[in-house]
Amino acid sequence: MERQIINKKKRVFSVEPNKIPPSEVFTRKYTRLLVPALKKLNMNKNSSQANQLTVKHEVDMALALSAQEFAWSRFLLQKLSSSNNPTTTTSSSSNGIRIQKRSGKEGGDEDGEIEEKMRELQKLLPGGEEMNVEEMLGEIGNYIKCLELQTIALKSIVEDTT
Amino acid sequence: MLEGLVSPENLSLSSMDMSVLERLKWLRQQQQKQVVSQSSDNSPELLQILQFHESNNDELLQSTFSHFQMLGSGFGPNPNMGFGPSREAMDGCISRRSSLQMDPVDTMGFMLKNSEENRTISSKNKRKSEVKRREEEKTEKKIKVAAETESNMKGKSSMSNNTEASSDTSKETSKGASEIQKLDYIHVRSRRGQATDRHSLAERARREKISKKMKYLQDIVPGCKKVTGQAGMLDEIINYVQSLQTQVEFLSMKLAVLNSELELALHAYFTNLPVVNASKPSIMVDVPLFPLDQQGSLDLSVINLSQTTSIEAPSASWETQSRSLFNTSSLGFHY
Repeated sequence: MERQIINKKKRVFSVEPNKIPPSEVFTRKYTRLLVPALKKLNMNKNSSQANQLTVKHEVDMALALSAQEFAWSRFLLQKLSSSNNPTTTTSSSSNGIRIQKRSGKEGGDEDGEIEEKMRELQKLLPGGEEMNVEEMLGEIGNYIKCLELQTIALKSIVEDTT
Repeated sequence: MLEGLVSPENLSLSSMDMSVLERLKWLRQQQQKQVVSQSSDNSPELLQILQFHESNNDELLQSTFSHFQMLGSGFGPNPNMGFGPSREAMDGCISRRSSLQMDPVDTMGFMLKNSEENRTISSKNKRKSEVKRREEEKTEKKIKVAAETESNMKGKSSMSNNTEASSDTSKETSKGASEIQKLDYIHVRSRRGQATDRHSLAERARREKISKKMKYLQDIVPGCKKVTGQAGMLDEIINYVQSLQTQVEFLSMKLAVLNSELELALHAYFTNLPVVNASKPSIMVDVPLFPLDQQGSLDLSVINLSQTTSIEAPSASWETQSRSLFNTSSLGFHY
């Protein structure tokens, strides 16, 4: 099976690498990373405990590894490798905070509001707090793109499995 | 030979709307490309060529020297930082740069280094915004905006460091030299009635950069175009990123659940194999190796075969799950 994947890898890379659209490159890398990782998870683990966390870990790892040209992927890798209990990018907690802040800052000045929102955005992006604003805006763009591709890939994996 | 080198490029360049200085730079880059591709023994030849040009265009060179020195100082701390993210594209360029540093003539090597960086930057960006650059030459700001996302990312992440470092030195450049530097500097022309001191110019440069990026984000995030104002747009972007992240979480949880089901099926599937006839497992093992297009029909037939031969007939759910397992494992071939 692995050999087949390796053979397929050789065949898939085209002669003119520039012609492959970057979204396809990312998706290919992502699925190629994630699926064997999931299989390994299946083989190795005996208990189903902490299953969701490990899967999330693998998902995040695959995302970070397939987008290594970008700054946020390095931060994500750092986060993943440093913690054994993977830090999930949960948005539920930040949602609550954001709603509170918005109601509180109704009468605030515009710049302050915008700054607040920028900081929120920085929290969402892995490593966003270490970047300055302009760099962060650029990185958010490609982070969004990669997230979109990741959801598409995950959806297709899930659909194929059901 | 020298004339042979010079004339075809002159012909091609004369049709383009370039200043003499830019043509000079173009020629130097061409020669540099040729020289680098050859062995290092030809460096005296390069020097010869360069000196030939230098004697012809003395005062122009003097001005470019000063600019290049400023540029070099701007680039000094930055070159590796700026090009770090775009590693893959720049590997060849970086190796060339290091070979050039052995060049005995300091200022020449300096100019070459910078022109090489310019060339690599320009070659990256030429694909994208050639027309836009021509248009914006006379106007206030030049920031590279690309259609392709990934090349845009690389360009942005690598260029932002360079342009920030050199934007301060760009304010007093003449127009002739500014044409060469336009890829590296951000030119700000002050409008009527606006302050021209350094800080406000820098502020304006920064704000325009941010607004360009916001415009790009507007294109990406659906539903952002209807909202006006930065705050609203930022809200939309935050919402979108959060929704994407929750989607990913949800899908990964689903995957985890499915994986656990699959694991049980897989485990039991492989433990059942010894019960089956000796010939059958070989067929089962070979199935994943079959090419993708045959996969669907072959799976079913083989699975059915094994099902009938095994004494403890597995449930129908196993059939679907094992089929899906093969589907999952070969999913990577879909793309």
